Amino acid sequence: MAVDKEELKKKVLEFATKKAAHKSKMYIKDLYAADPNASPREVKNAANELVREGKLEFFSSGSTTMYGVPGFGKTLEGAFEEEK
Amino acid sequence: MADVKKHDTPMCDELKKGPWPSFVDDVEQRGLHGKQECLDMLGQLELSYKHKETHWKHGGIVGVFGYGGGVIGRYSDVPELFPSVAHFHTIRVNQPASKFYSSAFLRKLCEIWDHRGSGMTNFHGSTGDMVLLGTKSDQLEPVFFDLTHQMGCDLGGSGSNLRTPSCCIGKARCEWSCLDTQAICYDLTQTFQDELHRPAFPYKFKFKVSGCPNDCVAAIARSCCSIIGTWKDDIRIDQSAVKAYMGGEIKPNAGAHGDRDWGKFDIQKEVIDLCPTKCMWMDGDTLKIDNRECTRCMHCINVMPAALRPGTDVGATILVGAKAPILEGAQMSTLAIPFIRMEPPYDEFKEFVDKIWGWWMEEGKNRERFGELIQRFSIQKFLKVAELKPIPQMVKEPRSNPYVFWSAEEVEGGWKRDIAEFRKRHAA
Repeated sequence: MAVDKEELKKKVLEFATKKAAHKSKMYIKDLYAADPNASPREVKNAANELVREGKLEFFSSGSTTMYGVPGFGKTLEGAFEEEK
Repeated sequence: MADVKKHDTPMCDELKKGPWPSFVDDVEQRGLHGKQECLDMLGQLELSYKHKETHWKHGGIVGVFGYGGGVIGRYSDVPELFPSVAHFHTIRVNQPASKFYSSAFLRKLCEIWDHRGSGMTNFHGSTGDMVLLGTKSDQLEPVFFDLTHQMGCDLGGSGSNLRTPSCCIGKARCEWSCLDTQAICYDLTQTFQDELHRPAFPYKFKFKVSGCPNDCVAAIARSCCSIIGTWKDDIRIDQSAVKAYMGGEIKPNAGAHGDRDWGKFDIQKEVIDLCPTKCMWMDGDTLKIDNRECTRCMHCINVMPAALRPGTDVGATILVGAKAPILEGAQMSTLAIPFIRMEPPYDEFKEFVDKIWGWWMEEGKNRERFGELIQRFSIQKFLKVAELKPIPQMVKEPRSNPYVFWSAEEVEGGWKRDIAEFRKRHAA
């Protein structure tokens, strides 16, 4: 069953923002829980569109990629600036 | 000489000795010609040798707008000692299929990289990308702009994405290729742009395409989905060339082992006895092959390329699930589809990919490779998901595994039994 994209984006953002308070970086798989009715690919597309809109951001370990909410958690770049 | 500062690097300098070209030499030369980053990188490497631990931190939020891969953030954790490599990000650039370049392309790329980065490159990374080593965050967007607008190339894959598909040299230079490897590689790259640039999966996923079973890109050992060229019909034999090999007029292996005298070529010892399925024999002075038994090992064709050639009814064998040894050791890929036509637009293959990606995205754990998912569930489950029928070639040997589970839909009437009916025939 196809899910409304805007509705799904809202759910993903809400879910990520709530989760970011205690876990600032999430795998794409963690975001599937935002809407159990949506297929993994629909959630992926919604999350990536949110990144393009600047509402979510990518975080990379080099080998894996995670999603974060801007303003939550440290970025390595941020940590680097602090050290300086 | 440019105004640069060379660090004292006695341990790195040791690597300049010996018969092989040394990366230390090359990096140092570039440094002394005006790139402080190169000398700082060697300085940090020396410190790592001394401390026996790395001084690189990697990851973070670096990249170009809209892309979740292609740039690997890298930072020095001793920036006060080596300030020019404080930010030293790696950029992966999608290589052209089969890695064909013009010298003009390479010059232009090096010009861009000298201007925007450290001038150091790695041709090529393990996945096949051109790797540009070391630049600062504010140079990423300009490098990306130059690559896409001036060079007509794109970033490669990194992170939980489809990694840059790669292929062997294929029909461009190789008479054995059963596939147009470049066309397949290019088509997959274009079709799966979103998966390549934006994280979609629990972990990385790799396609590699080899034109024949010699598998020059080692697809069977390194890719989650290996596409390996094969043929259905008979090996083509030129009996006069076979005789020429036997008579010593043509050198075996195209002369590849000609630096030593190995004695007279012995077709029995060097070809027929080494056939893994023993499907070859000499009938008088005629070479015979029972093609039904051939496993496409390529040995006979490699030894006598002028006499034997792959058949003409060509396609690909698809295997899945190879990986490097991070968890539970290295794994070779497993046969999924023995023969599939690989002709544009490759719809049958793409349908297969859709099915296995759907399963992996649904069931795969975070950081679980596709091969590990099959290991965790079972080949049976994989076959069901991919809607493939098991074939004898998928098992190592028959009748050795007693744990064969039937599902209800595979058994007539399912698991439901009429107990009353059963008891009429069998006393309790």
